[in-house]
Amino acid sequence: MKKVLLVLFAVLIAALVIAEPEYAVEDYNGVPGGTLFLGTTSGPKTLNPYWAQETSSTDIIGWYSDSLFRADNKGMPNVPALATKWWFSEDGKTVYFQIRKDVKWSDGEPFTVDDVYFTFTKVALVDGMTANGPGGAMDANDQLPTVEIVDDYTISFTWSVPNVWGFKWVGYSDILPKHALEEAVDNGTFSETWTVADLDKIVGMGPFLPVEYTEGVRVVLERNPNYYRVDKNGNKLPYLDKIVYLIVPDLNTELLKFEAGEIDIYGPTAENFPRIAEQAEEKGWTVGVGGPALGSNFIAFNWVNKDPVKREWFRNDHFRRAFVYMLDRQSIIDTLYNGLGSPLYGPVSPSSGFYNPEIEKFGYKYSIVRARLELKKAGFSWNPDGTCVDKDGNPVEFDLTTNVGNNVREAIGNKVVDAAKKLGIKVNFTPMQFNSLVQKLLGPDYDAVIIGLTGSVDPGSGWNVWRLDGGLHFWNYSPELRPDTVTEDIWYAPDWEKRVDEIFRLQTSAVDPQERYNLFAEFQMICAEHQPLIYTMNQNYLYAHKKIVHLANPEPNPAAGTLWKGWAIWKEAE
Amino acid sequence: MLKYILRRLILAVPVLLGVSVLSFFIISLAPGDFLDYYRLNPSISAEQVHTLERQFGFDKPLVVQYFKWLGQVLKGNFGYSFVYHIPVFDLVWRRLGATLLLSISTMIFTWGIAIPLGIYSALHQYSFSDQAFSFFAFIGISIPNFFFALLWLFMAAKTGWFPIGGIISLNYDQLSFWGKIGDYLWHVVGPVVTLGTSGLAGLMRQMRGQLLDQLRQDYVLFARAKGMPEGNVIYKHALRNAINPIVTMFGYSLSGLLGGAVLTETVFGWPGMGRLVIEALTSQDLFLVMATLLLSSLLLIIGNLIADMLLAWVDPRIRFRLR
Repeated sequence: MKKVLLVLFAVLIAALVIAEPEYAVEDYNGVPGGTLFLGTTSGPKTLNPYWAQETSSTDIIGWYSDSLFRADNKGMPNVPALATKWWFSEDGKTVYFQIRKDVKWSDGEPFTVDDVYFTFTKVALVDGMTANGPGGAMDANDQLPTVEIVDDYTISFTWSVPNVWGFKWVGYSDILPKHALEEAVDNGTFSETWTVADLDKIVGMGPFLPVEYTEGVRVVLERNPNYYRVDKNGNKLPYLDKIVYLIVPDLNTELLKFEAGEIDIYGPTAENFPRIAEQAEEKGWTVGVGGPALGSNFIAFNWVNKDPVKREWFRNDHFRRAFVYMLDRQSIIDTLYNGLGSPLYGPVSPSSGFYNPEIEKFGYKYSIVRARLELKKAGFSWNPDGTCVDKDGNPVEFDLTTNVGNNVREAIGNKVVDAAKKLGIKVNFTPMQFNSLVQKLLGPDYDAVIIGLTGSVDPGSGWNVWRLDGGLHFWNYSPELRPDTVTEDIWYAPDWEKRVDEIFRLQTSAVDPQERYNLFAEFQMICAEHQPLIYTMNQNYLYAHKKIVHLANPEPNPAAGTLWKGWAIWKEAE
Repeated sequence: MLKYILRRLILAVPVLLGVSVLSFFIISLAPGDFLDYYRLNPSISAEQVHTLERQFGFDKPLVVQYFKWLGQVLKGNFGYSFVYHIPVFDLVWRRLGATLLLSISTMIFTWGIAIPLGIYSALHQYSFSDQAFSFFAFIGISIPNFFFALLWLFMAAKTGWFPIGGIISLNYDQLSFWGKIGDYLWHVVGPVVTLGTSGLAGLMRQMRGQLLDQLRQDYVLFARAKGMPEGNVIYKHALRNAINPIVTMFGYSLSGLLGGAVLTETVFGWPGMGRLVIEALTSQDLFLVMATLLLSSLLLIIGNLIADMLLAWVDPRIRFRLR
């Protein structure tokens, strides 16, 4: 009898084991419970992952929504999420994802391959269904992938040529629940679903779900009981019961709230950082400095300016290099960033795994003498009164603009004006309102502009900037893109620009990571040599948090911040 | 009276129409549109921007856009916010509560203090207290709201007597009903004092001046000569005549209920309409701006109407004319 019972028991256990979801085990040793308080200066605008634009929205979405894989703390796509593994076909054109078995959505419905298929075929890859459009998934031939369900747990994406950037785009895309959204997608109201007005309808695979949003006050997220990760002790993750975002009017109030202990994790500005670091010991905070930020401001000259004289100057490599030497980056870093930053001479941040240190051999630095030398090489000379003139005797004078209210960009502009003055160049610097600036950038009128674009670890994200026909190739718009302002006869692309264009087409097909790294290394060398965009500097990533908060990220950095692997963050009782 | 109200309401229609035309075209005169942020996003292609232009209707001429919008409005559909993707009035309702709470609290504070003080000052003209009230009122009127708000926040941060902005505390959920009300009052003091002090002086001086004017009239002399009790002379006769322009001011102030506190709301992090409108303006969220403008105009019209009706109620001469 005892034996029978034992056998029965064993069968029961076996049945339980088989039905057990495919959990992801995390190497953390935390204590469950507690509420994490965070600050934000702006509440979410929409919680729809495919229509959200601002980080205030995507920060919240990132908690409840999940993708096939996630980034590791170097920003590389190595952390399995809804997919447990992925591999390329022999020819590299097809990528397969094996999805996690027997896991559930937050509302208890099973997560299946149909959800993934639905996400891509009905939303992500469909024109007009998303704010960003499917452009990021296109391969070198501008083709979208075909999506196929291979079996119950495997889905494949096939392009006409290998497409690494597309593979990443697919892997990072938010997967939507078919059962909750099919109706809205079919009747064309998808963009108006999952707004801030219908929090209660949101279904996710992520660790936390938004349960309350009071405009201008706070956003409350609660743990998803069906989340698929466990720690090494078998505790179900996430550790935290709740996350509360306090919405504060500005960064100064956020600072006050952090100092008052109302906020647990804080991203100080460079200006506030010394004040925070000073109090850290006494208040029980951990403060840290990560690497240089991924995005940077740069100066761009308009090569297709309507004035042929200016076109000539702006296209001259030596002329642009003169401006590289002219800008005293360190003094801006010292005054605006409290020294917490580093100068940048190429399009990729040193924080990225793709950074090519070889560009440092060009030896760029602040030097008015070298700037003068470069101008001479470019054929410029100086009148007796010190005015810089080109080879036809035209005095060098141009307009420089940026958007009003960005103090870093304004500081760069003022520095450029001062330095250029020393070289007899007259720069008229007039910042303008953001919308006017964008309109101007799209036209033929602007001379030079200081602007920044969002950066990312993978330089491939800059496809729309660096390809010759890219929508943001605004220093040298192609006639195809702007037929009304850029005519064939004024357009000119040097060979190296064509090579950059080629690199951005080739990199998508470079399945081998080393090959891709080499392509981007070459791209950085070209940019460092010819300086199509004059990069300026990056601020370092700064963070501070209470010691009782145990981050999951051993080294917060621009590619993976303090909230990386938020499901493994835990908090000691105060 | 009913006929009069009806006439006023009918007259309001062309006014609102005019407001809508002017605002729509003036907003559109500003360079660029809502999609400018998309245009500078490296992961959005030029084709996608064109697709969105078509979806939002920006590719049509301005006049066509206006009439399309007007047609929808006449059907009761004020459009979707470009940023939030929800109907604009849903968005406004979500914020309306906080703004109304603040502006009504402020109104009670301002009027509740200004009227009695004005009366007191008039009755004790040139006394020490009259001078002192005027002095403080003028300090209040001459400090800009945003600066006063910053001073207040500074004081709150230094002393800990008041919260640093916001509308409720962290532990709001755990509070009892009365605790919640107390918590709200504790938070509302800063913005109310900021807003109240700036309105206080004008109102108080108005009240004082009007009452003094009336007290010098012959009928007051007559009433006093007749031996009427002083209380009756002042409160039943002089004040009743003096309050006339104050009632008109009250009507106007109704129109400021929604948009009167943009700066103060911003500094105190008060989650009201002010910040919503500012954000909508900077992101050029056209339909949202239009909806709030129309709502404010409507309130102005209604406020005027209420003011006129109140006037008729307090002043029989006007009641007679309306007939």
